[in-house]
Amino acid sequence: MSLHMLKMSLLGAALAVVAGPALAQTKVTNQGISAKEIVIGTHQDLSGPIKVWGVPVLNGMKLAVEEVNAKGGIHGRLLKLIAEDSAYEPRKAVLATQKMVERDKIFAMIGPMGSPTVLAAQDILFEAGIPQLFPLTAAEFTYKFDASKPQERLKFNNLLPYVESTRAIVKYMIPEKKIQKPCVMSQDDEYGKNVLDGFTQQVEAMKMKPASITTYKRGASDFSAQAAKLKADGCDMVVLGTIIRETIGVVAEAKKIGFEPVWLGATPVCVLEVPALGKGVVEGLYSGCGFEVPYRDTAKGKVKEWAEAYFKMYNAEPNTQAVIGYNTIMTFAHYANLAGKDLTGQKLLTALESGDVFQDIFASPPTKFSNTNHLASTITQISVIENGRWKTVKDGLSF
Amino acid sequence: MRFIFKTDYEQDIKLFQHGGAWWSYGLLFAVLAVAPYLIGSYLQSQLVFVFIYAIVGVALMILVGFTGQGSIGHAAFLAIGAYTAAFLQARGYPFEVYFPVAGILTGVVGAIVGIPALRLHGIYLLIATISFAFIVEEVLARWESVTHGNEGMRVRAVEFFGQTVSRDSNSFYFLCLGILVLVIIGTLNLMRSPTGRAFIAIRDSETAAKSMGIDLAKYKVRSFAISAAITGLAGTLYAHKMSFISPEMFTLLLSIEFIMVIIIGGAFGLHGAILGAIFIVMVDPLITMLKDDLPGMVASLSRGFGVGEEGARAVQDRLYAIFSAPGLKGAIYGLIIIMFVLFEPMGLYGRWLKIKLYFQLFPLYKKATFRRQKTYVKSERNR
Repeated sequence: MSLHMLKMSLLGAALAVVAGPALAQTKVTNQGISAKEIVIGTHQDLSGPIKVWGVPVLNGMKLAVEEVNAKGGIHGRLLKLIAEDSAYEPRKAVLATQKMVERDKIFAMIGPMGSPTVLAAQDILFEAGIPQLFPLTAAEFTYKFDASKPQERLKFNNLLPYVESTRAIVKYMIPEKKIQKPCVMSQDDEYGKNVLDGFTQQVEAMKMKPASITTYKRGASDFSAQAAKLKADGCDMVVLGTIIRETIGVVAEAKKIGFEPVWLGATPVCVLEVPALGKGVVEGLYSGCGFEVPYRDTAKGKVKEWAEAYFKMYNAEPNTQAVIGYNTIMTFAHYANLAGKDLTGQKLLTALESGDVFQDIFASPPTKFSNTNHLASTITQISVIENGRWKTVKDGLSF
Repeated sequence: MRFIFKTDYEQDIKLFQHGGAWWSYGLLFAVLAVAPYLIGSYLQSQLVFVFIYAIVGVALMILVGFTGQGSIGHAAFLAIGAYTAAFLQARGYPFEVYFPVAGILTGVVGAIVGIPALRLHGIYLLIATISFAFIVEEVLARWESVTHGNEGMRVRAVEFFGQTVSRDSNSFYFLCLGILVLVIIGTLNLMRSPTGRAFIAIRDSETAAKSMGIDLAKYKVRSFAISAAITGLAGTLYAHKMSFISPEMFTLLLSIEFIMVIIIGGAFGLHGAILGAIFIVMVDPLITMLKDDLPGMVASLSRGFGVGEEGARAVQDRLYAIFSAPGLKGAIYGLIIIMFVLFEPMGLYGRWLKIKLYFQLFPLYKKATFRRQKTYVKSERNR
């Protein structure tokens, strides 16, 4: 017995030594937790250039909050979601974050939208000890952290980084379609740069050369020059670091000049709007996707229930953006539940890093974090547009 | 009504025309000096943004309000200041070095941009400045060895004479306030110097200015350079406040926001730049506050009128749903601006002057006092 006690205390001491410095230094807030409520915050682009993302993401989040609360909340505490509009402006994101930290006293920032907006505001959260969970940008800074800076441990992400997901889909498609001349067209910003990097890295790793690299400015609507260049360079596959309108624009333009390579979109292309607005033009377009795109009429089981609930609440078809928003809250709820009845910031952090697996209802790759890895997964899948709908071609891809 | 009895020509160029001004500005200054100790970091951040926008507002006022030259490219000058700061800071230079360097460099670029302004007028000049802004945005995105392209640059806290000044600290607030005050005093001095008078002469009539011996080329370039340099200084502060900069932050939209600062404030005096900055920065948080608090207030009011608990709650929920509709804030914001342009072309400062005069002349105030007097003569069409 005494030996056992000794062993236990030795183990405890060893653990304290190993985990002590890292754990002890990260300051985590307990604000926003009361007997009845957990206050959480988010800032979305509800009126700016990417509101086509921000609005459904927030809808998905609200739906998740309702669902969690309808089931009695998290150990009896109801979720209260504070949402502010950043309009994709860093200045507004900074002010909104300060407001939520100071006035609304949020416990966690969940799913904030956009790279410059999240980057400009994240120090405010870390200083206040507020976790930044699952921001809607797949950039490295949202999960890579410096172990010597304890407050950086507060960031977690569950979105596939563009570089990794692009590498995975390019790696799959090149042998699959016997591609000789891979090309890329990307948006001239941080997102496009990530896709471009992923593409070049993978093509070079496969001992090939990019046949053509072209870019366009965000908001552009004419792609005839790009399409002509891609055609002239003899591309047989074009990776698209585009979003919605540009995807349709360039594919349509290429069709006009009789250029029909294999089109392969990066993950942001995998949204319902592309087949819905592109109609027949985008038939046969491939894209990397994080999960299977849900359709209300063909979905089954829990996804069907979810899709119907979404439609009932917003009178709009659910889309991938809504799934991502919904998942941010459900992932938080999972780990907050795991943290136990007497939830504190420290306990949430421990629960997140425990390695416990969260599996969503959409058959996404499982979410799992550890104290060295704050990125949920790097697994991606490929879908193709068939008869105006996304259909999964291959899942479980990585590079 | 106050009558200022002038006994000396020097009185015309005094910074404060009468003793009362000392009191009111002193009071304002005292309030601003104690404010950061009384308010939270949320409000303090708003004030810091007001200061930064006001510095840009003053810069634009020199160019647009006083010299009569248009510019929808000031976000580019802000970007040059911001990137100069980020670049030099990353190479280990302290704030006291890169702050003036950012100003000077932006001033030089401003002078170069000013050269086409010698031949262009009105809308053509605006197009030239827009193109300039696009070029700068493009250069920032492409020149990766210096600007890190679209990945953007992190900007660390200010290192000022060995002291670290974090962006949410009171010291940073005072740094921005101090720079704003210096810029305002500098501009006031500029405007009562021969250079400032030349600017105003150019604005009022280029032909007349020329016939009085004013070198149009020299003064237009000078105006552009000064305006750009001040904007560059603001850019340094902006970079620090954001802690991160990327090319997509300095778009046409930001330039338009700056133009709105002086149009809403009133494009004929420095007060306008300050009032406009307050408006542009604070309206959004104010609408947010209303969105959060108004439903509750209306609910308790309706409780007072005996609607009952349930009814009051329904009212509150309904109002909250309406106020948090996506995009509503943008719509309200846009509406306010349209109203201003339609009904208050002299801006907030113009309105303030009208109110002041109304009480000073009561009951003899007449609307016609502020009617636009200027009529164009034929010769001005071919300036």
